[in-house]
Amino acid sequence: MSSGAVTANDNTLSDPRHRAPLVAGKQDYASITETVCRIAERDKTPRAWYVAFAVSASLTGMLFLLIGYLFITGVGVWGNNSPVFWGWPIVNFVFWVGIGHAGTLISAILFLFRQQWRTSINRFAEAMTIFAVCCAGIFPGIHIGRIWCVYWLAPYPNQMEMWPNFRSPLLWDVFAVSTYATVSALFWYLGMIPDLATLRDRATNPWRRLAYGTFALGWRGSARQWHRYERAYLLLAALATPLVLSVHSVVSFDFAVSQVPGWHTTIFPPYFVAGAIFSGFAMVVTLMVPARAFFGLKELVTLRHLENMNKIILATSCIVGYAYATEFFIAWYSGSQYELFAFLNRALGPYKWAYWTMVFCNVVVPHLFWFKKCRTTPWIMMIVAILVNVGMWFERFVIIVTSLSRDFLPSSWGAFVPTPIDVAMFVGSFGLFFTLFLLFCRYLPMVAMAEVKAAVSHGIEGHGH
Amino acid sequence: MHEIASLDRSRRTDSLGELAPRAAKTAWIVGGAGLALAVLSAVFFDDGWRHFNYSYLVNYAFYLSISLGALSFVALQHATRAGWSVTFRRLNEILAANMPLMAILFIPLALSLFLPAAAPYVWANPDLAEHSPLVQHKQPFLNVPFFLLRSAIYLGLWIWMARFFFTRSIRQDVSGDPELTVQMERFSGPIILLFALTTTFASFDWLMSVEPEWFSSIYGVYYYGGATVGGLAAAILAAMAAQRAGYAAQSITTEHYHDMGKLLFAFVVFWGYIAFSQYMLIWYANIPEETTWYLDRQSSAWLPASIALLLGHLFIPFLGMISREVKRRKVLLGFWCVWLLAFHWLDMFYLVMPSFASDRFPLGLIDLGLLVGLGGLYVGGLLRTAANVALVPTKDPRLPEALAFENL
Repeated sequence: MSSGAVTANDNTLSDPRHRAPLVAGKQDYASITETVCRIAERDKTPRAWYVAFAVSASLTGMLFLLIGYLFITGVGVWGNNSPVFWGWPIVNFVFWVGIGHAGTLISAILFLFRQQWRTSINRFAEAMTIFAVCCAGIFPGIHIGRIWCVYWLAPYPNQMEMWPNFRSPLLWDVFAVSTYATVSALFWYLGMIPDLATLRDRATNPWRRLAYGTFALGWRGSARQWHRYERAYLLLAALATPLVLSVHSVVSFDFAVSQVPGWHTTIFPPYFVAGAIFSGFAMVVTLMVPARAFFGLKELVTLRHLENMNKIILATSCIVGYAYATEFFIAWYSGSQYELFAFLNRALGPYKWAYWTMVFCNVVVPHLFWFKKCRTTPWIMMIVAILVNVGMWFERFVIIVTSLSRDFLPSSWGAFVPTPIDVAMFVGSFGLFFTLFLLFCRYLPMVAMAEVKAAVSHGIEGHGH
Repeated sequence: MHEIASLDRSRRTDSLGELAPRAAKTAWIVGGAGLALAVLSAVFFDDGWRHFNYSYLVNYAFYLSISLGALSFVALQHATRAGWSVTFRRLNEILAANMPLMAILFIPLALSLFLPAAAPYVWANPDLAEHSPLVQHKQPFLNVPFFLLRSAIYLGLWIWMARFFFTRSIRQDVSGDPELTVQMERFSGPIILLFALTTTFASFDWLMSVEPEWFSSIYGVYYYGGATVGGLAAAILAAMAAQRAGYAAQSITTEHYHDMGKLLFAFVVFWGYIAFSQYMLIWYANIPEETTWYLDRQSSAWLPASIALLLGHLFIPFLGMISREVKRRKVLLGFWCVWLLAFHWLDMFYLVMPSFASDRFPLGLIDLGLLVGLGGLYVGGLLRTAANVALVPTKDPRLPEALAFENL
């Protein structure tokens, strides 16, 4: 890694005397607007988009049909049984909530850390966050068995003497996830207003102008509006920052407040948060690599952006590995036979294939990112990111299924086998995710133009040297 | 901006020079007096040596945490290629470079293992261990030779890490070679990894094993959170002291204090988050083998300390430091740094001392003597390290960026 001059096309070189440019090529305000807006303004939708949309919309349809089937028939259509009362639906819930963590981390925490590179990817990641939370929200809702009692999940007035159980972490989950979804959506929308106004101003078709104009809320870009906007953005970022930590901490409480061996360990909250960020960034990379190529965004979402995300994946992988190791060590150190059994059973028992898949994908593979070559080669990072997604799904599977399938009494031991409905609903949730994602890519500004422009101008006029 | 940079560079007085040995001597005298007070109290009070040993561990963990917090700060700044923090880095490098002194100060703790009746590590006492199956179970890990070996490894690695950054940074003061920055950046990742593992296991060994039957997997993160609070607060106070004495006058600005204050605020919350996670999960699951630790700390003697920690280490500084103005005014920021160091010390006391006496709050002359005693030695060590080096990395390639930086 010699410290050569930073060229316009490769901004991954590092010379501590200069900051690498945030975007590649010769970009000015007009070219940034053009690059981003032309995707949403294209007259003819590309055929590939239709194909992808047809596939994902069909899968979404399948998901909702299966939900209907589930409502009519009951949760017996899943593999959930005694003692594994929480099967795939809760695995999927935790998986999707985790995916939804990169967006707010990028938009809130990296904003507070003044990481200007976030501007090229935040819109995309936030959109992904919201879609992932939509997918996540479905599973606990349909998991309750008696669907006509679904409103018991929400805290509601107690005329019917049905008091919400405030001592249950499942109730805290409803609060945590719904707060997170609300704030993420607000943050995403607020950030998009100036860009929606740009699309409105460029619109040649009156319907488009009306649609974008409605959602742009009368944005004119005056100094006063910008002033208010910046303040609101900073405040929302500060409010969203604790949410990044709180949501997955509360999700971890679902497990850790219990006395189930393998679930009850004090490192769970920060470990779950790190895992969520890990999987969220992996999903951003998985989607960003093809999207930036397909939509011609390579100069705005540069290799450096991907490299930075890969570094975060590496760092969070190390934290997750640290948590696995600490859990295992403490399981032995505690001297509790149940704890130790739970962990040995994970590594050596009937689900060892799942455990070692998890370890391989989450703890071994990401170490490729110590090498710059792997951090900056799209196809390699794509493979690593997909494996991380696989590994993080298996992590939740391992936590939920191995611990539940081995109850305290050997007479209550059991096994979990997913049904085809389990598999099809999980696949269907990807359909929903991609349907929303494709709509976003087609109709909304994928990159935060206004923010990139501010960051680029900062680079030009910035530090006075 | 170049003018400010060259102004600081041209001032040779930026290293403490003559002042350092004199100040260090004073610090050592004060430290010696503190130690003498502690030793005298240990001799004259009942159970004095046992108290001395426990209290020594408290104070050792306190000063060590400052160096560890500073070390992790330096490594993180390199890992993230930070520009804003360059002016604060040298002070942190100096704090971290006190590690060899911490290795020497570990010797009394190591020796205490051979006085089983008075050692804070009851597992080292074969008679006591015999009655506890749990302690016996842990003996492959908690035994004197392995414990000492691990301690040597932690201290050796920390000394190496601190020296790695310190020497290269000093060398850059002369050569201005940007390659040194690249080298430090390249090593910072693996160093953080090693740091996390050594700090975790050191806190398990040195602090958690004081209560050998108890366990908590978040303990290492808890100690790290507190250590970072301590390290940041100490670095801010060190900068204020240096500036008061006329050093680094123009290089460390309100903007840098403001940012350090934000980071300190963030870690106050982080510490609270970790402390809450541990308490919440243990309280809720209510398993006897875990709750014992908190039951001791909620006994009538210790409850006030627990509540003081909750308020003084989290809620009060949270409210006190939230305003931008507070972080930009030296007097106010300085006040919160002193406050947080005091509560960080109480936190260390709270971790260790209930094992010494759970039926009373055993704060006494010994603790005060050791706080001042180890503190004097610690400050003396810092001054000696700082004597001949600039207090700001004068030729760091990112120094101009740090000097030009403003919080909008």
